[in-house]
Amino acid sequence: MIEWWLGFIHTWFTELTGLVSQGNKRIFVGYLISATMIAVLWLMWQRRLNFAGALAWLFQPKIWWSNSSRSDYQMMFINQPIMLLFSPLMLSKLALATALFYTLTDWVTRPLWSFDISTFWVSVIFTSCLFVVDDASRYYLHRLMHQWPVLWAFHRVHHTAESLTPFTVLRTHPIEGLLFGLRSALAQGLLIGVFVFVFADRVTLLSLLGANAVTAVLNLLGSNLRHSPVPISYGKTLERWLISPAQHQIHHSQARQHWDKNFGAFIALWDRLGGTLEYGSNTQTLSYGLVGQRPTEHQLVNLYWQPFKRCWQSFRRHKGDLISAPNVTSETS
Amino acid sequence: MNKTLLSIAVAASFVLSGQAQAGAHAEIYADFPITVKNYTGTKTHSEAYTGQIARHTLHNSAKKLVSKGASLEQIKAYFSGKDEGRKIIDPVSKDGFPMLQTHVDKISKGKNLSGKAYKGLISGMPGSLTGAELLELMLEKAAATEKGFDPLTGYDYTQLFSKFAMGAVFYNQAVDNYLDEKLAADVNPNSKAYKEGKPYTGKEHVWDEAFGYFGAPAHTLALTAEEVYGIAKQKSDSFAKADHNGDGKVSLVTEMAYAHAYYAASFDKGGKTKYLHTIVQAFIDGRNLITSANGEALTDSQRSELRAYAQVIKTQWQRLIAEAVFKYAGSVYGDIEKLETIIAANGDVVKVYRTYAKHWGELKGFALALETGGVNLGETGVKMNRLLGYSPVLLGNTQVAALVDGEFVQSSSVSLSEYRVQMIKLQKLMIDDFAVEARNKDVTANLADLVDSLGQAMAAEND
Repeated sequence: MIEWWLGFIHTWFTELTGLVSQGNKRIFVGYLISATMIAVLWLMWQRRLNFAGALAWLFQPKIWWSNSSRSDYQMMFINQPIMLLFSPLMLSKLALATALFYTLTDWVTRPLWSFDISTFWVSVIFTSCLFVVDDASRYYLHRLMHQWPVLWAFHRVHHTAESLTPFTVLRTHPIEGLLFGLRSALAQGLLIGVFVFVFADRVTLLSLLGANAVTAVLNLLGSNLRHSPVPISYGKTLERWLISPAQHQIHHSQARQHWDKNFGAFIALWDRLGGTLEYGSNTQTLSYGLVGQRPTEHQLVNLYWQPFKRCWQSFRRHKGDLISAPNVTSETS
Repeated sequence: MNKTLLSIAVAASFVLSGQAQAGAHAEIYADFPITVKNYTGTKTHSEAYTGQIARHTLHNSAKKLVSKGASLEQIKAYFSGKDEGRKIIDPVSKDGFPMLQTHVDKISKGKNLSGKAYKGLISGMPGSLTGAELLELMLEKAAATEKGFDPLTGYDYTQLFSKFAMGAVFYNQAVDNYLDEKLAADVNPNSKAYKEGKPYTGKEHVWDEAFGYFGAPAHTLALTAEEVYGIAKQKSDSFAKADHNGDGKVSLVTEMAYAHAYYAASFDKGGKTKYLHTIVQAFIDGRNLITSANGEALTDSQRSELRAYAQVIKTQWQRLIAEAVFKYAGSVYGDIEKLETIIAANGDVVKVYRTYAKHWGELKGFALALETGGVNLGETGVKMNRLLGYSPVLLGNTQVAALVDGEFVQSSSVSLSEYRVQMIKLQKLMIDDFAVEARNKDVTANLADLVDSLGQAMAAEND
């Protein structure tokens, strides 16, 4: 029994350190450092602050040690063992990819043009497709999380954050984490199955820091600033294609006109197609969180338990219709 | 005082050496005591499987002769002949790996392969031939080719003959004869000598013969799969591991690895399976059980325990042959990919075509071997044979379709590309129906590699 606990604690600790030591995690230390550097330079340029002033503005204790941020840190610790317990429930990416591979083998003839593409280009195409499909599926699931009451009950936990730091990305209910895992397995499993069917053993992932190279580059370019007080906008032209930190902060805004905007993770095209794109501004000042939320929202028991209650209440209120009730984001207003 | 110490030391060393011997006895297929009642001969142990080892050397030698382009007469001397004076062509001494025996007769006299070859029908090749007839036909055809390869049909007779013979003789004899009907109570009973004057009982010898056909060194359990693999390959750095009795030579009877034991080792060294040790352990456990009956007839419960060991051996042995089918289906898949690329670039296919034929020969030989285990493969066998066909798909999209008047006749077939896909299906069949686990040359391995490269998805990380 003691051995089991020691093993469990060791795994917990390994998972926690993995959050900052692995390049396929958003709060990888390299990404945090690059985001800090970008933020400091931006503050010196846009707000005319000196280096020390920029750092002081960036690391304001009222943001980093707010009730909201402290609950982010607590969730980061608690979620790890819960996610470990969930992992056996996970849809196997490999099983899915293998099943699709065999199904395609049974029904489709491999296209002959696959031989005309060099291994390098196969990798470029695979890595790009993976990034795009992954991102599109993130957009779609995120949108559903705002639209379906049953999902919003869990996703609102993330939106009760009143101050944003890179750690807010981990302010995620485990049920939502499970859904993210399923989405990832589905999107990546399907793509791997198709690519290996078409290109056989010539498919490799172009990786950087142990992650998809495209994602890693974008993370190095400051994706952690999405959850930060630094409203970096890319300007309208680029924001039509890529979601800027300012645009994601709008997604967290309490203002009525910002509700249900900018669901995208990296690519803005999906929001444009879905009519949910909102441009950011370098000078925007926003209030985060949900309108009228109570201070008790940051208590752990509410963060973990309340979503189940809300889910049940919503189930009763909508007479079992959990997915088509409209405009649920405003439910807290 | 000194005397006391000495006596304690002697007693201790006696106890320790006794334990070591007892331990060694349990681990090595050797030195089983004689349990035959009223035995009056000079032998000191009861295990005997020299006839089976002689056949291993006949098989190895015949394979070597086919590959060297020997005459039919020369090859047949090792396949169906029983003449005295046959030299072992393979395995022979190499630098750093000297062999004890150089002639088949030194191991066992009057043995051949044809007499023990499977007499049932083989459906994976045309002509409604029995296993024995098919082996004979392969050798006749091989002798008419240059070094055992017929480019017109794509048949590599060295591989076809060798892999099929391992099934039709060794596997069939062991699992369909010795570990099957010969375990019955009234056949070769344990209460009598196998034959008048022999130092072993009926059941002891039946079990030993099955062990001999597997082809493992007697001290396999003291070796790793990697070491057994090295012994079969006669690697000089494996010599010390092979020479268990330390006489400076490798005994072809007790210290060498052959046939399916070698393949088991080759799969197990990948670390995913334990065919070699599981099978040898079951053989040793079964032999200890028979020995423990001390020359009395086995009781029903002893026989049922023995049958359980036999079942372990049969299941694992069949699965390891399926592993070989899986592996070579992957090799053939890779060869066709290369062929397609070369054809698309108008390159020279000769070398790759030869490799394709070699791998196909190995694949087909093992697939045919699966038919010889005394088990009706049913739908699995039909699927396997249809996916493989009677020959590799040739460059003009033709395949052997029949055997007419002793000649293989071709007709149009699926395309090379479609045939390549059939190899994927064949691998899947081996997974689904034989539960293969080593899965060498898995054409879907890239799926797992890619999944690994993407890492785990279990993080509660928001957008």
